[in-house]
Amino acid sequence: MKDLRTGLTRRRLLGTAIGGAAAMAAFPSWAQARTLNILSHAVHERVLGTAEGDLLADWKAANDASLSFTTFDSNPLQDRLFREASLPETEYSVGYLIDNRPTSDIAALFEPLGPLNDANPIEDFGDIAPGLIQGMTVDGNLIGIPVRHATQALFYNEALLEEAGISAPPQTLEELVEQANQLTFTSSAGTPVTGMVLASDLAVFPVMFARAFGGDFITHDFQLVPDRAAMEQGLSVLRGLFEAGALPRSYAATRNDDMVTWMQQGRAAFTVLPFARFAQLNNPEQSNFAGRIKAIPFPGSSTLPAGTPMSAVVEAWAMVIPRNATDKELAWSYIREVSSKRVTLGMALNGNGPVRVSSYADPALMQANPVAEIEAGVLANARGAFPPFPEAARAQATMLEEVQLAVLGRKSVTDAVGAIIDRVGPMMPA
Amino acid sequence: MRIDRLFIGLGKAVAVCMLLLWSLVPIAFVVISSFKPGREIFAVPPRHIFTPTLEHYAALWSRWGVFFDGLLNSAIITVGATVLAVVASTCAGYIYSRNSSRFLNGSVLFLIVVRLIPPIVITLPLFPIVNFLGINDTHGVLMVLYATFFVSLGTVLMRTFIDQIPRELDEAAQIDGAGRLTILRRVIVPLASPGILAVAVFVVVFAWNEFLFAFIFTGTNAKTAPLVISEMIGSIDGVDWGILFAASTVQLAPVLLFVVFMNRFLVAGLTAGATKG
Repeated sequence: MKDLRTGLTRRRLLGTAIGGAAAMAAFPSWAQARTLNILSHAVHERVLGTAEGDLLADWKAANDASLSFTTFDSNPLQDRLFREASLPETEYSVGYLIDNRPTSDIAALFEPLGPLNDANPIEDFGDIAPGLIQGMTVDGNLIGIPVRHATQALFYNEALLEEAGISAPPQTLEELVEQANQLTFTSSAGTPVTGMVLASDLAVFPVMFARAFGGDFITHDFQLVPDRAAMEQGLSVLRGLFEAGALPRSYAATRNDDMVTWMQQGRAAFTVLPFARFAQLNNPEQSNFAGRIKAIPFPGSSTLPAGTPMSAVVEAWAMVIPRNATDKELAWSYIREVSSKRVTLGMALNGNGPVRVSSYADPALMQANPVAEIEAGVLANARGAFPPFPEAARAQATMLEEVQLAVLGRKSVTDAVGAIIDRVGPMMPA
Repeated sequence: MRIDRLFIGLGKAVAVCMLLLWSLVPIAFVVISSFKPGREIFAVPPRHIFTPTLEHYAALWSRWGVFFDGLLNSAIITVGATVLAVVASTCAGYIYSRNSSRFLNGSVLFLIVVRLIPPIVITLPLFPIVNFLGINDTHGVLMVLYATFFVSLGTVLMRTFIDQIPRELDEAAQIDGAGRLTILRRVIVPLASPGILAVAVFVVVFAWNEFLFAFIFTGTNAKTAPLVISEMIGSIDGVDWGILFAASTVQLAPVLLFVVFMNRFLVAGLTAGATKG
């Protein structure tokens, strides 16, 4: 049948379509010859820069390669990464892994990177924070190269401290408690202020308070509550803050993002968040106290022996290669480049927590990030909230349940700590 | 008596108001906040009078371009899944309505039971199969999954609708020489169109907002808008609430307009067969 207006027949139309498709298929492609598929969080892609600020432009040109990022939020990302790594083959050659996830079973899904690093080493490998490397070494195998860390700091609202007549931030945990109680008031702007805001669903906070007394939840060598008295002291402080109204009445329902908004609105004077949140807390588009929210190391108790360092909680991300990946050579080349001094510094200037000690000495970073020097000092002694093991998620949930009961006054601190030991004990690896 | 009626009427009005508040306040908060300056979104006390701004929409456009790609993917998948589900449900509903056997009656029960299985149970074993077939991260796989998920409910709904159409019309068409397909196309479909629209509304709302299947079976090419929004919520460098609310509003608007427009058909669909003797 012929279309009278166009003179086009079905046969011509079909022939043109097939011919066009064949021509397109045969035409030389301008796209890069190789594509490296990466599973990551959006922030990992963002810190590598785009267009003229693309930190990997030279690497892409040298390898005739392009990058294809598939991004998810943290937990879905880990879920997808493990799922992909469990298949007979995956198109994803690089994944980003959080350091509290790799148990022995999970680590077995990823390529040991030691031999690759021996054959084709990463630039100045010893410059990468040893604690972060240790977190990615499972059963003697290095399975991930650290790429980003989030180290916890104590944030305070300088304007509220001034209003309450406090001239300097706390140097000890006891001072922090005293100031938090003093700062539970109604500000001159009419805003009801709570001394401190903390989320109740993360192990980070009770662990930080226990460490302030020299205790811990689970140590790197899997000792559960190694110092019971220290854990009880830490939880007693949290209980005391809640009782005094210096923690929100909504403590049990408070989440991480509430902490940010409460600080930005001047509803809380202190909080504990990663140093990386400094920019967001002081963002003039979101914060009523832009430039007035400062960060310092979380203080230890004055009862600790002099010179005992406070170990803040750090969470790190690392780049891994699934064992079933299709292009391991290109994946390792990418990891080497991203781990180089130049790219690590470039990512740090784009807001990434740098894993290299030398990055913190760079004047450009010092100028761009006012808390870089403090962060470097805290990172030196920081360690993960707890080591990875198969029942870690359930252990954390159990511990938080008991902590909440203690803080809300539904259970005595002593009983809660006892319950943590009794209930988490059977979940510990043999 | 009058006082009783007055109290009952008042009680109903209060209940409706409470229900409206419960449903509309969160939506209104999200939509209004998307037009508020960032610093005023969570201000205490809340600021109800403010100068509206489009800054969050501009930031959404410039910083989260992938969200609009996701919207396009959502639209393609939603249309595809809806067409598939409607066609399959209508055909199956017609067969169930006009035929009767022990097998068919038993399979209706099976359709309902299948609908009760939690989606996660199906997705986990499907993941390696979909990978093996090489159809992961395609629009097609989500279209088929969403349609499959709704065919059972759609079939039951369509059967109820078609049951109301007199069989005499089929017989008259048959006498005129029409085959089954012609009867379906020329007689049944036009008369059952309110039911078809009701099924379409269900599928559209489900496919537009679905997260679990999209999370498991897509990566880059077929990533849908709800997945991008979930990234905004859980961003490890902080949530930008203004942008998040703007994205939620943009995501909400098309499906809300569609449902409002189709509302009368949806009600007709839900009440189909209610007065059948």
